[in-house]
Amino acid sequence: MRVFFVGGLLSYRALFNWINPWVLIPSFLIAPLFQILLFAYIGRAAHLESDKFYVIGNALQYAAIPCLFAMGNTIVNEKRQQTLGAVLATPARRIPLFVGRALPVMANGMLVAAFAFVAGGALLGISVPLGAVAPLALVIVLTAFSCTGLGLITAAVGLRVVDTAVFGNILFGLLLIFCGVNVPLDQLPGWMSTTAQALPLTHGIEAARRLADGASVSRVGGLLAAEAAIGTAYIVLGYTLLRVVEFESRRLATLDRA
Amino acid sequence: MAVVEATDLHRTYRTTTGVFRRRRLEVEAVRGISFEIEEGELFGLLGPNGAGKTTTIKMLITLLIPTSGTARVLGHDVVKDAREVRKRIGYVFGGERGLYDRLSAADNLRYFAELYSVPPREQKRRIAELLDLVGLTGREKERVEGFSRGMKQRLHIARGLLHDPPVVFLDEPTLGLDPVGARELRATIASLVEGGKTVLLTTHYMFEADALCDRIAVIAQGRIVGEGTPSDLKAIVADQTVIEIEVFGAGDAEIERVRVLPGVANLAVEERESAQVLTVTSPSGLELTTSVLACLNGVRVGRIVTREPTLEDAYVSLVTSQ
Amino acid sequence: MKILRVLALGWAMHFKMLSRSAFDGVLGVVWPLFFATTAFFMFRAGAPSSTLLYASLGASVMGIWSATSVAASSALQRERWSGTLELLVGVPTHFALVLMPITIAMSTIGIYSMAATLLWGRFLFGIDLHIVHPVLFVLAIPATIASIGMLGFLLSVSVVRYRTAWALGNAMEYPVWLVCGFLVPLSLLPGFVRPISWALAPTWGIRAIRESALGGSPLPDLGVCCALGLGYGTLGVLLVETVLRSARRTATLSLT
Repeated sequence: MRVFFVGGLLSYRALFNWINPWVLIPSFLIAPLFQILLFAYIGRAAHLESDKFYVIGNALQYAAIPCLFAMGNTIVNEKRQQTLGAVLATPARRIPLFVGRALPVMANGMLVAAFAFVAGGALLGISVPLGAVAPLALVIVLTAFSCTGLGLITAAVGLRVVDTAVFGNILFGLLLIFCGVNVPLDQLPGWMSTTAQALPLTHGIEAARRLADGASVSRVGGLLAAEAAIGTAYIVLGYTLLRVVEFESRRLATLDRA
Repeated sequence: MAVVEATDLHRTYRTTTGVFRRRRLEVEAVRGISFEIEEGELFGLLGPNGAGKTTTIKMLITLLIPTSGTARVLGHDVVKDAREVRKRIGYVFGGERGLYDRLSAADNLRYFAELYSVPPREQKRRIAELLDLVGLTGREKERVEGFSRGMKQRLHIARGLLHDPPVVFLDEPTLGLDPVGARELRATIASLVEGGKTVLLTTHYMFEADALCDRIAVIAQGRIVGEGTPSDLKAIVADQTVIEIEVFGAGDAEIERVRVLPGVANLAVEERESAQVLTVTSPSGLELTTSVLACLNGVRVGRIVTREPTLEDAYVSLVTSQ
Repeated sequence: MKILRVLALGWAMHFKMLSRSAFDGVLGVVWPLFFATTAFFMFRAGAPSSTLLYASLGASVMGIWSATSVAASSALQRERWSGTLELLVGVPTHFALVLMPITIAMSTIGIYSMAATLLWGRFLFGIDLHIVHPVLFVLAIPATIASIGMLGFLLSVSVVRYRTAWALGNAMEYPVWLVCGFLVPLSLLPGFVRPISWALAPTWGIRAIRESALGGSPLPDLGVCCALGLGYGTLGVLLVETVLRSARRTATLSLT
C-alpha cells in the first residue's frame, strides 16, 4: 500500500493512473481487505477480541490513510513538476487550495473504508445492526476529517523536505499501533494509551465499535465530540505549520529544489 | 555493405484515452522510413519534435519492434538477432535520465561494463580511458546525483562506449546543455568518427547537423522528406534568395498577403519579443523586397536583410512543405 | 563463471543503491516493525508466551517479503522512470541475468529488517531468541532470502511488461504475510488456502527458520523452499523473452 503513495508517484502520470483498474483494485480493494484479514487471523491465533473488532479498526484506518498522504503528495508532485512556486505565488487562500486538491482523495478514502467494512464484514460473517449504518458512515467522515490535520502536517514536511512518503508512512505505523486499531488500548503500556487519547482516529474507532455493538448515537456523542475537537486542533496546528514552513521556504528558497 | 540499413520501417502506437469510456487511438509515428549508413559515416536524422526520430532510433537499437519493415545493423536483423545487434551498438540519449544517481560514476560504468561483457581484465583500463575521454577523471568516485547536467551527459556517452561498439546511436545528445558543454560534446562526437566509428545522430539543432554530419535525412511526420549531404540539402534552396524582414505588429491578413505574393516560395514567421521576423524565400533574381513591403503597408518595419540560404532554410522548406 | 560475475556485480550494485535510499533503507526496517509491534502486543495480551517467539521469528521474515514485493514492483517502475530500464534491456546480457540480482538485492535488504525485528522483540518485549540448530538457522536465512528474491523476480517480470503492475506488487504484501503463515499458523486458515500456501516459497522458508530455531527437522522444509525458488527462477527465465518481446511490441519500456 505504502508505495502506492510513493513509488507510483515518482511518476506524476500516476495521478492519472489512479483511474486504471489495474491500480485501483489492488491498491484500494485487495490491500485493505487483507489488512483486515491479517489482523483478524492474528487475533484468532492470539485469542484476542472478536473479528468485528479488527474489521472496524482497520477499515477506519483506511479512511485515514489518503487524508494523511493526499496533501503531502500534491505538494511533492507540484514540486517535482516545478509548478509549486507558481501556485504559491498566487494570492489564493491556502486552505481551500490544498484541501480542494485533496478532497477527491479523501472521498476516495471514505469509499475504501466503506468497502472494507462491508467486504471484510461479509467475509468474516459479521453483522451490524441496520440502524448503526448511518451513524457509522458519519464516523467514517468524521475520522477522515480529523486525520486531515495530520495530513496538513505531512504537507508542511513536504514543503520542506522532498520525500513526504517516509514521514507519512511513519505516521501510518504510529496510528496503527497507538490508536487501538488492532491492540485494545488497555493492553498498551500506560504512556502509549495516554498518548492515544491525544491522537485522531482513537475516539472515532472506539465510537464505531460501540455503534456496531448497538449503542445509540447519543451514547457515543462524547467520543464523537472528542474526535472532532482533536481533529480541529490538529488542523489548526497543521495549518499554522504549513504557513510557517511556506514563509521559511520563501526565505530559504527551498521551494523548487528538486 | 551498409552498416545500418533501414527498409520501409513503420511503427504504430496504440494508446487508450478517456477515463470511463476508453477509446483506442492509433498513432502512426513512423510511416515508411528507409535509409542506409555507410561505415565510418556520421549520419544525421533531423526533424522537429514528434517527427519520429526517437521511434526510429529505438527500432534500430532493438528496444521497439517495427510494426512492419526491416532493419539491419552490421548485417544482423534488429528483431531476429537482437542480441548480436546489442553487442555491436552503443546508445546515448540526451537529458539527465539513464543513470543510477545513487551510484558513483565509476560504479555506473562498472555495472554496465559487466552487462556489456567487457572482459574483467580490460574493464579498469577501459573505464579509465573513457573517463579521460569525457573529461571526468578525478570525479569518478562521486555520486552521480551531485553531477551537473553536462557531466551526466558526458558520463552517459562514456557508458555508451564501454564495449567499444562500432556503431553508436546518439539521440539528441546535446539536449539542454549550455553552449560550452554542447560544443565540447560535439568535439567528442567528431572524435568518435575520426576513430572509425559509424554514428547516427538525431538533433533539431541545424548548425549541429551542418557542422558534424556527412549526410542528413530530414524527417517530418514519420517520413523522410529530404536526404543528402548538407550541401545537397542546401542546393534545394541554392537557387533561392532569403529576405528576412523584421516587422512590428503585422496581423494575419498582412502575413497572408505576403504568403500569396507571386514568387514567394516559402514564408516562415518567427515571433520574437516585440517583433516578428518574416523569412521570405523566393527564386534568385526576383527582387521581391519592394512588393513584400507594399503588402505590409502601414506596419512598422525594422531591419531588412537579404542573404544566401542556409541549411536551416532548406530544413524549414522541407518540413513546412509537408 | 561469467554468469556468476554478472549476478554478483548486479547484486552488489543494487544492494548499494538500496542501502543509500531513505525510503528503501529506513522505512524498509521501520515498516515491518510497526506490524511486528502490533502483533507482539496482540500475542502478549492473549496468547501464551511461547507464541511470542513463534511470532517474532515469523515477523522477522515479513520485512524480507516487504522489501521484495514492494521494491520488486516499485524499483522497476523507478528504472522505467529514470530511463535505465531501456538501457538494461538494450544490453547483450540475457535480461534474466540482469533482473534476478536486482530482486535478490531487494530481498537481501530485508536482512536489516530481520535483525531489527529480532532485536526489537528481544529488548522491548523480552522475547529470548534461543536457537536449537544454529548452523541450520544460518543456512535457512539465505535460502529464504534467495527464494523470496526469486519470487520477486517472477513478479517483476510482469512489471517489465505492464506499466501498472507495480500496484500488484504492493497489493501482494499483506496477502503473502497472511497466507504463508508469517504470524498465523496455517491450520487456522480455511482449507482452500492451503495449496496456495504450499506453492509459495516463503511458507517453507519460515517453517525452516522456525524449526531450526525452536527445534525440529528443518531440512525437508529447506529443500522445498530452495526447489520452489529454483522453480520460480526457471519459470521467470522462460517468461522473460516472451515478455520482453511483447514489451518491445507494445512500447511499454519507457514512460512515453
